[in-house]
Amino acid sequence: MAVIEAAELVKEFSRPAVLEGRLPRLRALFSTKRDITRAVNGVNFEVEPGELVGYLGPNGAGKSTTIKMLTGILTPTSGVCRVAGLEPSRDRARNARNIGVVFGQRTQLWYDLPLRDSFEVLADLYNLDRTTYRNRVGLFTELLDLSDFLDTPVRSLSLGQRMRGDLVAAMLHEPSILFLDEPTVGLDVVAKARLTEFIAETNRSAGTTVVLTTHDMEDVERLCQRIIVIDSGTVLYDGDLSRLKERFMPYRFLVLTLAERSIRRVADIPFATEVETSAVGTVLPYPDRSVVLRFDPREITTPELIARVSQVYQVDELSIVDPRLTDVISKLYDGLLT
Amino acid sequence: MSTAEQVRAFRGMTRAGTRSVLIYRGDLITGAVTLVIQVVLAIAVWRIVYSGRGPVDGVDARTAVAYAAIAACLQSVLLPWQFSSLPMRIRNGQIATDLTRPLGLIWQVFGQNLGVLLGRLPLGAIGLAAAAILGALTLPPGWAAGLLSLVATVGGVLVAMLCNLIVSMVTFWTFEVSGPLIVYRFGSAFLSGSLIPLWFMPGWLRASVEWLPFQAQVYTPVSIYLGQTRGGQALALVGVQLVWVVLLTVLLELVWRRARYRVVVQGG
Repeated sequence: MAVIEAAELVKEFSRPAVLEGRLPRLRALFSTKRDITRAVNGVNFEVEPGELVGYLGPNGAGKSTTIKMLTGILTPTSGVCRVAGLEPSRDRARNARNIGVVFGQRTQLWYDLPLRDSFEVLADLYNLDRTTYRNRVGLFTELLDLSDFLDTPVRSLSLGQRMRGDLVAAMLHEPSILFLDEPTVGLDVVAKARLTEFIAETNRSAGTTVVLTTHDMEDVERLCQRIIVIDSGTVLYDGDLSRLKERFMPYRFLVLTLAERSIRRVADIPFATEVETSAVGTVLPYPDRSVVLRFDPREITTPELIARVSQVYQVDELSIVDPRLTDVISKLYDGLLT
Repeated sequence: MSTAEQVRAFRGMTRAGTRSVLIYRGDLITGAVTLVIQVVLAIAVWRIVYSGRGPVDGVDARTAVAYAAIAACLQSVLLPWQFSSLPMRIRNGQIATDLTRPLGLIWQVFGQNLGVLLGRLPLGAIGLAAAAILGALTLPPGWAAGLLSLVATVGGVLVAMLCNLIVSMVTFWTFEVSGPLIVYRFGSAFLSGSLIPLWFMPGWLRASVEWLPFQAQVYTPVSIYLGQTRGGQALALVGVQLVWVVLLTVLLELVWRRARYRVVVQGG
């Protein structure tokens, strides 16, 4: 049984129409004309319990709008969504007990109060008994290293600290479903790693269903088995992360550092194409001495290719690099997939 | 959610509201100093106005001075400038996180507002103490009147909170409410009788004010406390408060029901 379902989900926003002609802004004050934008345009998907799904798309694709319908903040214009059997916008309060939400762009913590006070208020809101509350705060404090700033007012926390606090706030009532809307936006590498590790661990050990939106493809590669890609309010791709790469970027890279320093290009190797070093996208150990070959594993296996190359050249070092998800996704966004 | 759980969640919001007032010590001290100055000035002005005169419109000097002092204290607890963060939260989209909580938005806002009010009670007490030191406070005419004025204070608080919330809700439509709010606050300060007792208003104004929810906020409790309104008349004023609470609750429910479908979260 799917724990999250979206069926033909549509959300339209309307705003005062922008007028043309003379004195447009003045006339707009008296105009009742409105422009309608469809932010979400017939989205369908299901998420099974315990899944960790990446919900991806370019800016303005409709990601956050979908999340806001699933969390009960927005009422769908048409279509249905169900979260743990409830219609979020009709059953907002009951839905709230099943879910935890983090919006990376804003905080649900009490801005003026110490972090600990926010947790106490949430314990009241979700009716946690004293022992459970104390145990969980203790556990989270340890896991996310909060002890240094538990008594600092939220307004003086750093972004990374605040985000950790927000994550705890979303999970204090142990929801079975977590919606994370850009939880790592603006964080440094260390803070990000800590956060993603924590999310992965929660998903693994507690079986929490997680829906994650992000622009950070490293997060996605680290966390998600399945991704849903949307653009202009419709689903472009829904499936395995690895399958996505196979389908849209079916090749891998062989990076060589040759012993013969003067050789910069290699002669024709069957089933492999030499490409610019920049195509790999990662930092190479010896950029000026590296040669990059692109190949399709369905045409030639990796050992076979390595064998052939070593027959011809003296190789100092070699490595296999997979295409980066960023490149796959930008290809998707660009509409190059057809 | 069971009623007990609702009550606990509400209390949680109240506690957050109170703490967010008490955490800003500097703000509280400024507020207390301002109120004391206001009380001292009000007492001085009314004493000068009355010096060498007998009762005006049946109101003697003692009553007029006490009214001015008590009303200023009540007003400062009841209607702080930043009563509710709701308009700001709607404007910057913070409302989104409020709507993912298990307690209804209205109860969250009420809980928080009540907390702010409780947090500001010490201010009112300081103001009253200043008035007492200056000998401007009088006792109610009897224990019944004292008790009834307490009930009327609670009624006044409810009416004020409901009015504030309804005005704040307008933000769901306009996204900008500071203009109406300023008009509302000045208007209510005048029409509730906290600046000038309603006794001194011309007949036509008095008659129209009686049809508005503002006099229930300050005038009703203070005039009952001072014994200016007594017996059946006092009970009638408390009855009017009750009617306003019911009417405003219905209005709030209607406004909120429409607002729910208007919720548009800004940004992100």
